[in-house]
Amino acid sequence: MVTTLDAVLTRCRSSPPNILATLQQVQAAFGFVPLEHVPRIAAHLGVTDADVRGVISFYHDLRTSPPGRHIIRYCLGDSCRAKHTERALTALTRRLRCDFGETTTDGRFTLTKVYCLGHCALSPTMMIGEETYAQLTPRSVITALQNHP
Amino acid sequence: MIAPAAKPQTVYVADDSTAIAAGANRVAAELSRLPNVRVVRTSSRGAFFLEPMVEVDTPQGRAAYLNVQPREVPGLFRKKPVPLARIPFLAKQTRYTFARFGENEPLDLAGYGFRAWQKAREMSPQQILAEIKRANLRGRGGAAFPAGIKWQTTADTPTEPKYIVANADEGDPGTYADRMILEGEPYRLLEGMMIAARAVGARQGYIYIRSEYPAAIQKMRAAIAQAREFGVLSESQFDVDVVVGAGAYICGEETALLESIEGKRGMVRYKPPFPAVEGLWGKPTVINNVITLATVPDIILRGADWHLSLGTETSKGTMPLQLAGQIRQPGLVEVPFGLTLEEVIYDFGGGLPRGCRFKAVQVGGPLGALFPARLLNTRICFDALAKAGGILGHGGIVVYDDQTDMVQLAHHFMEFTANESCGKCTPCRIGSTRASELLQAVLDGDAVPEDIALLRELGDTMKNGSLCGLGAMAPAPVLTALEYFPNDFGRRL
Repeated sequence: MVTTLDAVLTRCRSSPPNILATLQQVQAAFGFVPLEHVPRIAAHLGVTDADVRGVISFYHDLRTSPPGRHIIRYCLGDSCRAKHTERALTALTRRLRCDFGETTTDGRFTLTKVYCLGHCALSPTMMIGEETYAQLTPRSVITALQNHP
Repeated sequence: MIAPAAKPQTVYVADDSTAIAAGANRVAAELSRLPNVRVVRTSSRGAFFLEPMVEVDTPQGRAAYLNVQPREVPGLFRKKPVPLARIPFLAKQTRYTFARFGENEPLDLAGYGFRAWQKAREMSPQQILAEIKRANLRGRGGAAFPAGIKWQTTADTPTEPKYIVANADEGDPGTYADRMILEGEPYRLLEGMMIAARAVGARQGYIYIRSEYPAAIQKMRAAIAQAREFGVLSESQFDVDVVVGAGAYICGEETALLESIEGKRGMVRYKPPFPAVEGLWGKPTVINNVITLATVPDIILRGADWHLSLGTETSKGTMPLQLAGQIRQPGLVEVPFGLTLEEVIYDFGGGLPRGCRFKAVQVGGPLGALFPARLLNTRICFDALAKAGGILGHGGIVVYDDQTDMVQLAHHFMEFTANESCGKCTPCRIGSTRASELLQAVLDGDAVPEDIALLRELGDTMKNGSLCGLGAMAPAPVLTALEYFPNDFGRRL
């Protein structure tokens, strides 16, 4: 069944209106927040287009273009830095041929950076989807990709 | 006659997401394939360098198989497990907030018991407030503000309704104590919030959890559902909802967090008015960090005198420190305030891994100072760290080895602030971008000595002119890097 914007918006009724929660629902349904939906979202919430766009641009999680099949959240936190995560990261970006914020040409992965996943005891770490990979090496970071076809 | 079935052997494996990243699920799956073995999933002890651990009961208490690989499972019980009392990392800790970690099942409501709540409901709100104030419970989230004063202010503000907000936006890289509580003993946080709600007269609470913690979000929601189903929350005339963040470090700042719950951009608010008077939707709001709220049940149960008997003169109680970075035994260490950095890094953390040499330690996340070896005798408490130009923050301790370039690191921290600044005040918004550019120039070999002077001046402006802690503390790692590791900068000018 194709989810429609109206179906999502009817679930998001709160008083006072909550822009972020609504956008999170929209992104959960579509994988991103299509910018052409902004006027209808704004009208539904009784706020301006600028209010909605302001929230979209503020939060790193909110996207305005479709992501790849799997989202990689690569940690650049302090502990991962201390464990020289740039070595595994270089191997990863070379293999994916893409940088932070970009999607691989085959649409398989979107690479995003995060500051800490809370697994600092086993740095360096990343998540692919909901799966966490710890103690990354230039080799294991590539092997991890194979679990996510 | 049929022989009675042998009593199944119970084994315990952590259901914590770091332990799972180490392979705990694969080990648990192998164990459950063995005949006559019952696998119980518990919280983690936080000795992550030993995960996956498989624990068993012995007459002398728990013992564990360490760093278990799935292929070792079939022959595992032929080996002798190590008694936990003989693992110094665990045995030397003083655990209260994390006392049950490694033993409790995270969602076992009856096992948790809510004993502190049972005691608190017999106390008057003013008695609870008096106890928290007398205990001198200072916020564990970073600002170290006395929780009792926040609570009293909210209680004294006549506006209704009132709210309790748990700050579970654990954004400081290098910290994970909140995550462990949310995943490992969610009822402890809930109980702390219920007690706070009774003390100030709140009916509704929110737990703001960062989106980087999907397992914590799921566990906390399940715990709330259980507490509702079994009437724990309705009995306390209080309800709680989880609000999920959207990837913004600044939302760990209390007023930005409130804006975010309201669905807006996470822009820092001017203070006063303080949230305790005008917080969520303009109503009086107690906002405390997860560890702070999770410390409340023990204060109620054991009394303020117990809390006052631990720690230093101005930092009372215990602090869960989180060891990370280039360290041999990374994990959670709950100890009374007052140990030195050296004791924690070497006695608990085991020092650096073989072949690595110490260069610096950063305490308190990306806004904390970088300390050289000669300052390792600094005591871990709010005031000693402040005196040394740093912060305790949320208790993260990250060790760096001598392969670390301090200019690169300083640039990383400034870039982090430039990325995460909410943009409301100029010193933070522009200052972090300019400082980041200056550090890039140093890295590129394009800087002159005057640029370093400019960097110091910029740091001073940010420190004194920023609206909130992000801008005010962001210069600390850069300025301490300049002070303690001048050669890293000097050789590039």
